[in-house]
Amino acid sequence: MTSDVTSPDAGSASGEAAARQHRFGYAAVALLLAGIVLGAAIGLVVPRLRTPGDDSVEAGFLRDMSSHHAQAVEMAMVAHAASDTPGVVTLAADVATTQQAQIGYMQAWLRDWDLSPTGSEEPMAWMPDSAGAVVNGLMPGMATPEQLAELRKATGKDLDTRFLTLMRAHHLGGIHMAQEAERLSGNEKVDWIADSMIAAQQGEIQLIDDLLKQAQAG
Amino acid sequence: MSMSTPGPERVPSTVKVGKTTGQGKPPAGKPAGNRPAGNRPTGKGGKGRKPVTPVKVSGGRNWGPIAVAGLVVLIAAGIIGYGVYASVQGSRDWTEKVADIQGIVNYRAQKNAQIDDRTHKNGALTYVTSPPVGGAHNQTWQNCMGDVYSEPIANEYAVHSLEHGAVWVAYKQGLAADQVDALKKKVEGKDYMFMSPYAGLDKNVSVQVWGYQLKTDDVNDKRIDDFIKAARVKASMEPGAACSSGNTNTGPVTGGTSNGASMDSPS
Repeated sequence: MTSDVTSPDAGSASGEAAARQHRFGYAAVALLLAGIVLGAAIGLVVPRLRTPGDDSVEAGFLRDMSSHHAQAVEMAMVAHAASDTPGVVTLAADVATTQQAQIGYMQAWLRDWDLSPTGSEEPMAWMPDSAGAVVNGLMPGMATPEQLAELRKATGKDLDTRFLTLMRAHHLGGIHMAQEAERLSGNEKVDWIADSMIAAQQGEIQLIDDLLKQAQAG
Repeated sequence: MSMSTPGPERVPSTVKVGKTTGQGKPPAGKPAGNRPAGNRPTGKGGKGRKPVTPVKVSGGRNWGPIAVAGLVVLIAAGIIGYGVYASVQGSRDWTEKVADIQGIVNYRAQKNAQIDDRTHKNGALTYVTSPPVGGAHNQTWQNCMGDVYSEPIANEYAVHSLEHGAVWVAYKQGLAADQVDALKKKVEGKDYMFMSPYAGLDKNVSVQVWGYQLKTDDVNDKRIDDFIKAARVKASMEPGAACSSGNTNTGPVTGGTSNGASMDSPS
């Protein structure tokens, strides 16, 4: 500043400096407008950029895990209604209520994200190397229609053993899916629910093993 | 207080002025001796006009900020365009997707009180359409966890499953086994789906959700898949209602299947 004022050429260059200031003025206004437009655009789009898309890992996992959970609820309700063993009845109630509530979480997030509750992709398409994991439309760990029919007909120790065996396999398949989702997704909601599924179902497998021993011993 | 504070503050400000003027002078003097001799042999005018040349350059450089601003506007416009597109796509309702499929009958639009009736009634009921797409139904629902029934099932239970958001794939009784298998592949293992033969069906296949129906003679008709994708679960009249814990038997309604809780009073 001070050196400009003291320099002898400041006076002669003032005309050109004024023109320069005009040009920079236009550029500044243009930049300002562009900034406002960009800011508005970011505000408009950011919620959409932050939420997972229709073919994302998150959407695929939430949809598939909802279906996977639905079968666990189905088996648990059969066992809850038909078992005579207090430990199995309690476990069945725990599985049915927990997993139905988790379906609620997962479906609500899909709804929040403006995504359909069901996808147009094949089951497990979100998981790499999932080829062959789905057999007759069944995801890993899911019981076949025949196994479910047998479970519905079973009574007593046979029912307990069938239910515990099917639920053990179901949990293992579910844990694997949840671990893959946690690994592939950076979404904190998905990570949170996948993590709680892994922890809870791993704990339940230990309980299932104890109950299986009792069923087979008694 | 007021006397002492302004005093010392004013002193350094005068000191600063003195420093800058002092710093300004020596550089003005020193380069005058060294540089003009090396750079510009013409001497006198050359020294002073050196600062003028950058002014001319900056005048031409004005296109830089303009180009940058233009680029920014372009990017912003692109982002807005994508945002609008994505939000329009995302908000596209399932009913619009169903409406795009040729040949689907929209019974919801007809506002037929008998089809829209959602009360729970006991025993055998009559329906307006065949197979039914809605109406009063039994308290029990037909299990719709991808269940494939090989015998006809009770309309009174099936309609309750439709209310829960299930897709019911009904096919003409006696349809060839390979065609039944083709339909089975669409249903097996999928929750909120069930399938059964249907007596007296006028086409080979009738697919229905609550309030919508598609009839076709071709089991490989692409519209069947489009309909399932668009409406499964979404057609639910009771979001969150399950397809499990329902009736898994085939055959007509039997008086004994109802568990007797919360019966409707006869209307």
